[in-house]
Amino acid sequence: MIDFIAHNLPLVMFSSVMLMLLLGYPVAFTLAAGGLLYFVIGVELSAISPEIRLFWPLLQSHPERIYGIMYNDTLLAIPFFTFMGIILERSRMAEDLLDTIGQLFGPVRGGLAYAVILVGALLGATTGVVAASVMAMGLISLPIMMRYGYQRPLVAGTIAASGTLAQIVPPSLVLIVMADQLGRSVGDMYVGALYPALMIVGAYCLYIFAISMVKPQWAPALPMEARTLGNGVTSLGVMLLVSIALYYLGMHVLFTTIGSPEWQLVTAMAFAVGTAYAVALINSRIEKKIISRLAEQVIIVLVPPLALIFLVLGTIFLGIATPTEGGAMGATGALLLALGKGRLNFGIVKNALEATTKLSAFVMMILIGARVFGLTFYGINGNVWIEELLLALPGGDYGFLIVVTIIVFILGCFLDFFEIAFIMVPLLAPVAEAHGIDLVWFGIILSINLQTSFLTPPFGFSLFFLRSIAPASPWLDKVTKKTMPAMKTTEIYKGVFPYIVIQFVMILVVIFFPGLVMHYKAETPAANPADFQIEIPGFGGQNNSGPNFGLPPIGGQEGSGGAGGGNAPNLGLPPLGLGGGQQAPNSAAPVTPPTLGLPPLDLGGQQPEPQPAKPAAPQIGLPPLQGLPGQPPAQTEQPAADQQPAQPDLSQPPPINP
Amino acid sequence: MAALLALSRAIDAVTTAVGKSVSWLLLAAVLISAGNAVLRKALDMSSNAWLEVQWYLFGTVFMMAAAYALLKNEHVRIDILSSMWTKRTRDIIDLVLHIIFLVPFAGLMAYLAWPWFWLSFNSGEISSNAGGLTIWPAKLVVLLGFLLLLLQAFSEIIKRYAVITGRLEDPRHDTAGEMPPAATEV
Repeated sequence: MIDFIAHNLPLVMFSSVMLMLLLGYPVAFTLAAGGLLYFVIGVELSAISPEIRLFWPLLQSHPERIYGIMYNDTLLAIPFFTFMGIILERSRMAEDLLDTIGQLFGPVRGGLAYAVILVGALLGATTGVVAASVMAMGLISLPIMMRYGYQRPLVAGTIAASGTLAQIVPPSLVLIVMADQLGRSVGDMYVGALYPALMIVGAYCLYIFAISMVKPQWAPALPMEARTLGNGVTSLGVMLLVSIALYYLGMHVLFTTIGSPEWQLVTAMAFAVGTAYAVALINSRIEKKIISRLAEQVIIVLVPPLALIFLVLGTIFLGIATPTEGGAMGATGALLLALGKGRLNFGIVKNALEATTKLSAFVMMILIGARVFGLTFYGINGNVWIEELLLALPGGDYGFLIVVTIIVFILGCFLDFFEIAFIMVPLLAPVAEAHGIDLVWFGIILSINLQTSFLTPPFGFSLFFLRSIAPASPWLDKVTKKTMPAMKTTEIYKGVFPYIVIQFVMILVVIFFPGLVMHYKAETPAANPADFQIEIPGFGGQNNSGPNFGLPPIGGQEGSGGAGGGNAPNLGLPPLGLGGGQQAPNSAAPVTPPTLGLPPLDLGGQQPEPQPAKPAAPQIGLPPLQGLPGQPPAQTEQPAADQQPAQPDLSQPPPINP
Repeated sequence: MAALLALSRAIDAVTTAVGKSVSWLLLAAVLISAGNAVLRKALDMSSNAWLEVQWYLFGTVFMMAAAYALLKNEHVRIDILSSMWTKRTRDIIDLVLHIIFLVPFAGLMAYLAWPWFWLSFNSGEISSNAGGLTIWPAKLVVLLGFLLLLLQAFSEIIKRYAVITGRLEDPRHDTAGEMPPAATEV
C-alpha cells in the first residue's frame, strides 16, 4: 500500500500543486511551497518505502541552484528584449508603425486587418510579450477598425490572434525560454521558428484576403477622407527598387574589401537602407518634393524599427552576436532611436526600467519556484513516472507528439506560458529525446501550440487582454460623433475561431513537415568561433551539456559531486569551488552545440544512432540514489559519463566534510 | 496594531527604495552588454570580468526586486477561479498563504543561503574564469533577496490582516480579473 502511494506520489504531487495554483496565490510561491511540502512528505516516505529516496541534505542544493539560474547567459536576454519592446512602445514608435502601415494598406479591402497582422508580427519581434502587443494594437486599431465598418468579430479575432504572434516570431521571449529549458541554442530556435512563423503570418493574411473576397462588407477599404497621407505608392515602389539596387551595388562592388561575408552583407544592407532613409529625411525638409508624402512617411516611420529588428535578428541569425548580445544591442538601439525622435525622457526610461524589473522579478521567481518544485518532483522519481506514462503511449513518435500537443494545449488554457515552460517542458524533453525527436522542432511545436491555447476560449490569455481594453459598454466615437455598440464577449470568441483553426492546421503542418524547422541545422552558425568565445565565461553552457533538463545545476553539480565522492553525506556542505565546477563543462560544451548529441534527423524523427541510455539519464541529478539499496551507482554515473564527457575530471569539487 | 502598521509602512518604504534603485542596474547591464559585444567584435577584446558583471547586475535586479514585485502585486497569479470569489475570500486566502507558503519558503531559502554565502565569503572564492570576479557578492544577493522577500511577506501579512479586519483601506489595487502584470501601465 505504502509502495503504491509512493509510486504514484508524482501524480498526487503534480495534480495537487496544480490545484493549489488555482487558489490564485502567486505562482512562484505556490510552486515553491508545493515543492517544499512534498519534500517533507517524500523524506518521511523514504523511511518506509524503497520507492522514494529524499533526504534533508538535498535541500542544501537550493542556493546553488538559484545561483545557477543567475549566471545563465540565455535568460539574460529576457530583460534586454523586454526593455527594448517597452521602450519602442512607450516612445510611441509602435503606434506610428500601425498608423502608417494602416495608411499604406488602407486603400485595399481588408487593409487595416493586414496592417494589424503585420504590425503584430513586427511588434512581436520587438516585444515578444503577448500582453503588450495585444493591448497596444487593440488600443490603437480596435476603435479605427470599428469606425470604418469592419465586422466586429473579425476585428476582435484579428487583434487577439495577431497579438499572439509575439509568441512565435523571433526574438520572442517564449523561444528564448524554450531554448533554455530544452538545452538548445537560442539561435537555432530562432532560425527554426522563422518559416513556421512566416507561414502563420501568411495564413492569417490569406484568411483576411478570403474574407475580403467572400464578404467584402466585413472588411472595407478606408474611405477617401481617412487616407490622410494621400496616394503615392509609385514613388514608394521606386524607392524600394533604388534600395535594392544600392544593396547589390554595395554587396558586389563597393564593400568587397570587407573580409567576412556576414559583415559585407550587413554593411551593404545598412548602406541601402540608410540612403533611402536619408532621401526621405531630406525630402521632409525641402520644399520641392522628390518623393510623395506617403513614401516619405512610410520610410521615415518604418525604417528605424525595421532596421533595429533586422540588426538584432540578422546578427543573431548570422552568428555575429549571441541572442543576449543581440538583445543588449537592440535595447541600446531602441534607446538611441527614441532619443533621435526626441521622445526619450527620464520618465520613460525610468518607467520602462521599472516595468522590466518587475517582469524579470516575477519570471525569474517562477523559475526559482519551479526549480524548488522540480527538486522534489525529480526526487520522488516524477520524471520516471512521466516517462513510463508517455513512452507507453501507442502510435510511436507521432502518438507522443499528438498526446503532448493535446496536454500542453489544455494546460495552456489555464496556465501562463512561463509555468508550462518551467514545469512541463523539462519533464517532456527527456521523453521527446528518448523518442529521437529533435528538440528544436519539439520546442517549436510546443510554442505554436501554446500560442494557440492563448487564443482559445474561455480562458485564452490573449482574449482576456483584448476584453480588458475592448469597450464593454456603448461608446462615442470622437471622429464620426456616432455612438458605437459595445464589444460583446461572444463576438470575441466567434472572431478567434477561424484563427484557432488556422493554428491547428499549422501545428499539423509543422508536425508532418519537420523540414520547415530542421533547416536550422544546415545554416546553424553555432560553430562560429564567436559563439565559442562568448560562452567561455560559461553561463548557460551547462544547459547544453545533457538531457538533465530543467535541472542543470543539479545535474552539473551534484552529478559531478556524486561521481566524485559517490556518497550522499558530501551534500552536507554545498561543495566549494562549484562556481568553477559548473563552469568547467563549458570549456567543452561550447564546442558541442552544433551537434548537441542529437543525430541528424530528417523526417519524423528516425534516429540512426543509439541515444544515450534513456531511462537512467534524468537521474543524473540525484546523487542520493547512489549507494542506496537497489540502485547501482553505475546507473547514475553512466549517463553522466556519456553526456558530460568533460565533467567528471574537471568539475569534481573537492569533498569538503563539515 | 498601529505599531505593526507603522512597521509595515517602513518595510514597504525600504522595499520600494530597493526595487526602484536596482532597476537602474538593468540599464547598466544593457549598456555593458552592448559595449562588450561591440568591443569584442570591433577590437577583438573581451574581458571575463565585464561579462560576469552583466549577470551579477541582472541577478541583483531580479533577486532584490522580488520583494518589490510582491509589494506591487505583480507576481503572476492564476485567477480563473479566484476572480469569481469575493474580495474578502481572496484576502483571507492571501493572508493564510502568505503565512504557510511564502514565509516558510523565503525563510528556508535565506536560512540555507547563509552558510553557503559565508563559506564563499570566508574562502574568498573567485570565479574560475581567467580574470573573473569574486563570487561572494553574487551569493550575498541571493541571501539579501530572500531576507527582503521575507520582510515584505511580514508587511503583507500585517496589511492583509488589517484590511480583513477593516483597520486599513486596501492599499493594493486589486487586479484580479484585470490586466496581467506585463500589460499594466506603470
